[in-house]
Amino acid sequence: MIRSVNPLAQEPRYELIGRVLRENILSGVLPQGFVLLEGPIAAVMQTSRVPVQSALRQLLEDGLIHRFDGRGYLVGQGGADVIPIRRDIRELELEIPQVVDEALQTRGTWRHVYDKVEEEVASCQIFGEFRIVETELADHLGVSRTVVRDVLARLQERGLVRKSPSSHWIAGPLTARTVSEKFELRGIMEPAALRLAGPHIRYAEVEALLERTGTDPGITPQYLGDALLELCIAQAPNTALVEMIRSNRLLLSSVDRALILLGLPRDEDTIEQYQTLLDLITHHPIDSACEYLRYHLSITARRYLARMKIVAVIDETGSFAPYLSPQ
Amino acid sequence: MKDDAKPELSTPPIVPRRKLRVLGTSITLLKPVRDRAKADLGFDIAFEKMDFLSCQRWAAMEPDSYDIYEQCFHNLDIVWFWGALQPIDIGRIPEWDNISDLVKLGGVSKYAGRGRGDAPAKKLYVQPGGFLGPKPSRYVSMLPTVHNMDSFGYDARIFGEGPDVRPSWAWLLDRRAKGRIALVDEPAIGFFDAALAAEAAGELEFADIGNMTIDEINALMKLLEDRRAEGYFRGTWRDGVEAAELAEEGAVAVQSMWSPVYGKLRKARAHFVESAPSEGYRAWHGGGSLSRHLRGAELDMAYEYLNWWLSGYAGAVMARQGYYISNPQRAREWMMPEEWAYWYEGAAAARDLSGPDGEVAVRAGERRAGGPYVDRARRIVIWNTVMDEYNYAARAWERFVRRVNEGAAT
Repeated sequence: MIRSVNPLAQEPRYELIGRVLRENILSGVLPQGFVLLEGPIAAVMQTSRVPVQSALRQLLEDGLIHRFDGRGYLVGQGGADVIPIRRDIRELELEIPQVVDEALQTRGTWRHVYDKVEEEVASCQIFGEFRIVETELADHLGVSRTVVRDVLARLQERGLVRKSPSSHWIAGPLTARTVSEKFELRGIMEPAALRLAGPHIRYAEVEALLERTGTDPGITPQYLGDALLELCIAQAPNTALVEMIRSNRLLLSSVDRALILLGLPRDEDTIEQYQTLLDLITHHPIDSACEYLRYHLSITARRYLARMKIVAVIDETGSFAPYLSPQ
Repeated sequence: MKDDAKPELSTPPIVPRRKLRVLGTSITLLKPVRDRAKADLGFDIAFEKMDFLSCQRWAAMEPDSYDIYEQCFHNLDIVWFWGALQPIDIGRIPEWDNISDLVKLGGVSKYAGRGRGDAPAKKLYVQPGGFLGPKPSRYVSMLPTVHNMDSFGYDARIFGEGPDVRPSWAWLLDRRAKGRIALVDEPAIGFFDAALAAEAAGELEFADIGNMTIDEINALMKLLEDRRAEGYFRGTWRDGVEAAELAEEGAVAVQSMWSPVYGKLRKARAHFVESAPSEGYRAWHGGGSLSRHLRGAELDMAYEYLNWWLSGYAGAVMARQGYYISNPQRAREWMMPEEWAYWYEGAAAARDLSGPDGEVAVRAGERRAGGPYVDRARRIVIWNTVMDEYNYAARAWERFVRRVNEGAAT
């Protein structure tokens, strides 16, 4: 996953625009009677007009601007005595907080929406096959089709969507075969990477984690799985191998998260296995940890396949994003 | 209370009668069984009856809402791996040693065929790591009770009768029945009737019919879809009442069938007969499980109920609708010799025999297709199964069923 550092990076663009306009109205930079037009605002914010429209609608509902007998909106509550001020917004010194500005700057790229879409597209696949229509995804995200195509290209690169013969974007279905193959790959790659990582493992952090495991309820099997990857396996000096491992785990982890959302209870057996594994890593020859990891993965695969069967009897209403159309 | 000025008349403290909550399906939750259990056991029982899929979903997601889960071994994975159940200690089941080898070993004898798919033995014993498997241990996932070998029913006027007729699952795709074929709509059951039909008809071959690959599932669904488009299927059914209606109306010439349905036929009785398929049977095995939340006195009550199932009466009621119990000798104590001879030994009925509701289900002189219990059990080729690719197969099946029934409506 690509995690942005900017806390606002995942916020919808119209909210960021609304935030800037609101603050400038309240501080008086945008005076009573100022005529707000979509085009110039979009130019200042470096976006398309669609999110500007949404932002203005919101400000109207909040009573910060009002409609008048002309194009655009007037700042303020309105009234007969208000004289429209027609100036180019670009001439005003709008205050745009740096963090918002940065978030807006990344808006032009696919990165700010990617993580969420990736999670949704991956986890829906237990519910069968889905089609993604570019325009619907663009509307849903409030971004251009160019951005959507970049997102889909990235998803395709990661093996989460494919193009059908009729050029439709298709996701899923996640089959037992896919799951078995992915676990088989894990069984080949992860022990190998763990062995390579031996001298580079962040032992102090693994020890600290081991101490907390079993007492700290926040330490879930998923947390341990991620920690094992980051602190141990991903320390292997072969970056191509690590990238393949991450990519291969993507779909499995998303589905795992989806199952937990559906109510899958916490699994104590798995936590015990991670404890054994972390203990082997820190206190014993790395080969023993590699063998145990292989065993742990084969058990996990069996349990995973059994758990997937419940999805067939679950009511799937509301379990996937609106731009995903079941086929 | 405000008006407690007359303390001498205050009501005695209400001690609520203990209550056991049983979640199950129409297979086992029959009225005579429910009534008798309530009468025999020293506590109230609330029975909740659901259709197969809802029952599984509810059992997995809401384990606190029931104490006993009555269902089948083949869909146990769904509930077990969601952590909703707790193991049963066979040390607390006095009848355990009398439970048949069909469920413990997978076959009625060492030499009997084992059957593909989810044979109950594969899901019976709790293994290390919380898995289920055939290796004996002190704990089991489900106490085995009711079971049967299912087949299909056919119109003898179309397919013929007499000793020379060799019923085949292929009849479920036979052109003589075109437009008059129905399948049971359950992806772990009807799906295999269709798969057996496809193999028997020589249309397809599966490496392991009990755990099909995606390609095999696709091939089966394509075959079914082609036949559907040609108008082969009359419809699908979900319970015995619907199955009986289809046969009574003469709407079907061949269809999936459950044993109790034959006893309910009236008009169709003379010509709509049970098959003993030459390829063998599709079997299933039911039982009862304990919800994970049970402790102490509640757990004791649940064990009492499970043990009651094996005490004979319930087994006799099940026999009267054509189902077998895992410890038949105890049920025999509650059956008339003629009943035992007909249902378990394959003899001709010495007189009219009643079904569980008291109505005549078998006429004097009739003989059960397939013969005695042991012969039928030896010929199990597949068990109802929730395969690895169940999630995929069930969706494909659902689309097929929807199209069949849309077609029937137009």
